Amino acid sequence: MQCSKNFHEMELGFDLSKAVAEADRCLLCYDAPCSKACPGDTDPGTFIRKLRFKNITGAIRTIKKNNVLGGTCGILCPSENLCEKACTAKLKSEFNILGSDNAIAIGKIQRFLVEHGWETGFKPLKPGKPRKEKIAVIGSGPAGLSCAATLAQHGFKVTIFEARAKPGGVLYYGIMPYRFNKSFLDKELEDIKELGVKIKCNTPIKEHKGIEKLLKQGFSSVFIGIGLWQSKSFHEKFDKEISGLYPSVDYLSGICDQRFKTIEQQIKDKTVAVIGGGAVAMECAEASVNLGAKDVYLVYRRSYLQMPAEKKEKIRILDAGVHFILLNQPIDYLIGQNKKIQGLQLNRTLLGKVDKTGRQNPELIPKAKWNLKADIVIEAIGNKPDSNSYKLYPSVKLNDKKLIINEKNTMTSVKGIFAGGDIVQGPSLVVKAVQDGKNAALDIINYLS
Amino acid sequence: MSNNIDLSIKFCGVKFENPFLLSSSPVSNTGEMVARSFDAGWGGVVFKTLHADQVPIIHPSPRMNTYNYGSKKNIGLQNVEMISDRNLKDNLLDFLYLKKNYPNKVLISSIMGFSNDEWAYLAKASEDNGADMLELNFSCPHMSVEGTGHHVGKAFDLIEKFTATVKKTVSIPVIAKMTPNVTEMIEPALCAKQGGADAISAINTVSGISEIGINDFVPKPNISGLSSVSGMSGSIVKPIGLRFISEMGQCKELSLPLSGIGGIETWVDALEFILVGASTIQVTTSIINYGYGIIQDIIEGLQDFMALKNINKIQDLVGKALPNIKSTDNFDFKHQGNTNYDLKKCVGCGQCYVVCHDAAGQAISWDKEKRRPILDKDKCLSCMICSFICPVEDLITYNKMPLTWNRKQAPVMGKIFAKDLKYKPFCNQT
Ligand SMILES: Cc1cc2nc3c(=O)[nH]c(=O)nc-3n(C[C@H](O)[C@H](O)[C@H](O)COP(=O)(O)OP(=O)(O)OC[C@H]3O[C@@H](n4cnc5c(N)ncnc54)[C@H](O)[C@@H]3O)c2cc1C
Ligand SMILES: Cc1cc2nc3c(=O)[nH]c(=O)nc-3n(C[C@H](O)[C@H](O)[C@H](O)COP(=O)(O)O)c2cc1C
Ligand code: SF4
Repeated sequence: MQCSKNFHEMELGFDLSKAVAEADRCLLCYDAPCSKACPGDTDPGTFIRKLRFKNITGAIRTIKKNNVLGGTCGILCPSENLCEKACTAKLKSEFNILGSDNAIAIGKIQRFLVEHGWETGFKPLKPGKPRKEKIAVIGSGPAGLSCAATLAQHGFKVTIFEARAKPGGVLYYGIMPYRFNKSFLDKELEDIKELGVKIKCNTPIKEHKGIEKLLKQGFSSVFIGIGLWQSKSFHEKFDKEISGLYPSVDYLSGICDQRFKTIEQQIKDKTVAVIGGGAVAMECAEASVNLGAKDVYLVYRRSYLQMPAEKKEKIRILDAGVHFILLNQPIDYLIGQNKKIQGLQLNRTLLGKVDKTGRQNPELIPKAKWNLKADIVIEAIGNKPDSNSYKLYPSVKLNDKKLIINEKNTMTSVKGIFAGGDIVQGPSLVVKAVQDGKNAALDIINYLS
Repeated sequence: MSNNIDLSIKFCGVKFENPFLLSSSPVSNTGEMVARSFDAGWGGVVFKTLHADQVPIIHPSPRMNTYNYGSKKNIGLQNVEMISDRNLKDNLLDFLYLKKNYPNKVLISSIMGFSNDEWAYLAKASEDNGADMLELNFSCPHMSVEGTGHHVGKAFDLIEKFTATVKKTVSIPVIAKMTPNVTEMIEPALCAKQGGADAISAINTVSGISEIGINDFVPKPNISGLSSVSGMSGSIVKPIGLRFISEMGQCKELSLPLSGIGGIETWVDALEFILVGASTIQVTTSIINYGYGIIQDIIEGLQDFMALKNINKIQDLVGKALPNIKSTDNFDFKHQGNTNYDLKKCVGCGQCYVVCHDAAGQAISWDKEKRRPILDKDKCLSCMICSFICPVEDLITYNKMPLTWNRKQAPVMGKIFAKDLKYKPFCNQT
């Protein structure tokens, strides 16, 4: 297979004339449905209207005030299923609407406006009047960043503790640079740092009760936004020592840090099998193609329609040349000498009864096992909280999946400890994490006054 | 071409293979350009205005600015261009070339003198070198010399004088080109007639300012830090052109052939000018925007329209809308109407609600749940602004109501203040 694009370059966005042309198609709906459909209250109805009336600075302000990662969301939101799904301009159906029947490209306009702000040096966000309270934020993913930025705009002193070398969470260590590159992230982070937010990298909270103790170390409140950083495995015999076997988290984060060259060499001209049918599996499969793998197989135990990934993503992956092996359940690893992976044992399945997720359950077909040869196997069947993370906050109530339960709005069962993003919602979206962080900030302000 | 409809027309006794001409402007600046326009299908040309080489003509740089609306570009054009910057001899040589190679195309020489003698000189030179007609430029808004361009167009006695001078000098037909920067055009047009003009063309550009630089406070085009109120053209001036042509078309006392100019881009625009009385059509800005090739769609579109309507001659369309243009006191005020909403087509944008609420009769309320307008027909003013903003074609249509229908009046908010009112009805003293 051929690497279809430069691994580190993402697609260009709109320029001013394209954005204006797109805004011109907007029907300027009363009580705009797109705004209601945005899970982050980014308010596209308002910012597009502002652009339409040449109030470009105002449009940028609307985005950034509502969504401090507005540029990022413009790129990464599955907007066709969010704001753009509600777009009235799309409802052309059988009627003769002027213009076209596509939804307004809200995500692209949003990205353009934020980039335009950077280009022209317009900075809509300001730190608030200083307050004495200090707040600790754990994790610099979208949830933590959004919480910190909102608090800083209200004058709080915020410190983000981040375990890894770089801030951004999944934005840095999960999403491939050709979809979303690091220099874009840097600019969006710069806006946040300019508000006075301190981000301490390489500073994991790891002590027993470490997060709870922060409340006694001068922090008035704590926000937990640590995300989900452990991959699930289909096999109880999963072993880190098997070479060529990757959990998706290690594979993707490795590509994003200094292990890039090593992984690239491992993948080039090799056969890769990715297990899973969700967004992360798609990310792993596409990355493998783009790193020059000979063949990439995507192994999924149900059928095409049951895959949780977005349709657009699935089609993109198919077009990139990934081979879909549907209706096949991995049963075991094939392991050779020196604990080197050689492939997977698969069992063909048929779809049976509908389970509680509303999807038909895969049932194994007897005597239908076969071996898929592969040099690299990547497990991408889901992420969960780090198995030790609950020790950092043993008093905080968790559900059966070890996700944090928010009791009152975004406050956990422990007073002064708030949480949001994937560690509360399970695997979710950037825009939802942003919204959680923002809501938690407002809850913290309420709590402290 | 799609059919055999003949678009030829006689104008001041001269036969045009079709009524579509380049107007005098950069699009008719040289023989080479005009030749290509003829190849593309234009029926004739009014050549870029000639002068007698007595003052050097230098165009300001840059000399134009565009007028955009939202993402819609070039809906208008502003220019500070002068008359031809080529010398007279070169232009006349190009006349000879064009007449030799395109004997069936009509060559109209646009001229501007800076004195009575110059008008005569230019008229003669044009006639001697093959011009089929003359157009007297009384309307260029960028000439600062008194007694030239639109200064003449506004000094009506000079119009008559210069026209008479030209008429005495030559035997070819003479058109007077008018400026729209006057309150009425009939009076100057009658002066031209008095002087012997055979036809009137209108409009030249409309004085305006298209844009002001908001950082340097210099309007556009920015000529080393300065600009000028100057001529607007293109689509935005079409309504003004239609107005002046229709008024002259209706004027019995004038009854001269008219050449329509102003924002013509499509066959529909051209037809509209014909319907209000123009029998030739002149074009510049849409050629500046799209090139000579637009003539193909103008011709084919008009021919197909005429075929569909069973009309054989352009002449049969000239002035056909004039009987339907009257001053407002002639209207039937008794018949009132409202609107029909075909809600099956509604997409729920709510713009009708907004505009009716804030700029009309408050006849619409908004069903928030269903995202649909609810129309109270009895309050509808029939202003139709909702139908202008509605994105769906023919969802909102006009509905004529019977004479028995009465519109609900807008509420009076101040009823409780009746005792504070200082008012008595106007009473005519005579
Ligand atoms: C591969 C992949 C692709 C995705 N693509 C999209 C997409 O295209 N669009 C979209 O909307 N969503 C996408 N998502 C989902 C989205 O990225 C997440 O919903 C979002 O990042 C959640 O944000 P968060 O702040 O809760 O957590 P994270 O982004 O996971 O950030 C958590 C941060 O906390 C840090 N941390 C963890 N433990 C500690 C500790 N003990 N001490 C200090 N720091 C700690 C981590 O290092 C990390 O930086 C994707 C997710 C993945 C995995
Ligand atoms: C429907 C309509 C009715 C108008 N009626 C009046 C009027 O009664 N009296 C008046 O002085 N101007 C009237 N005007 C002119 C406006 O006040 C204004 O001068 C003109 O529309 C130009 O401004 P605008 O196009 O920027 O809005 C009217 C304009 C419109 C569109
Ligand atoms: S944040 Fe995402 S969902 Fe919200 S308006 Fe922007 S692109 Fe749409």
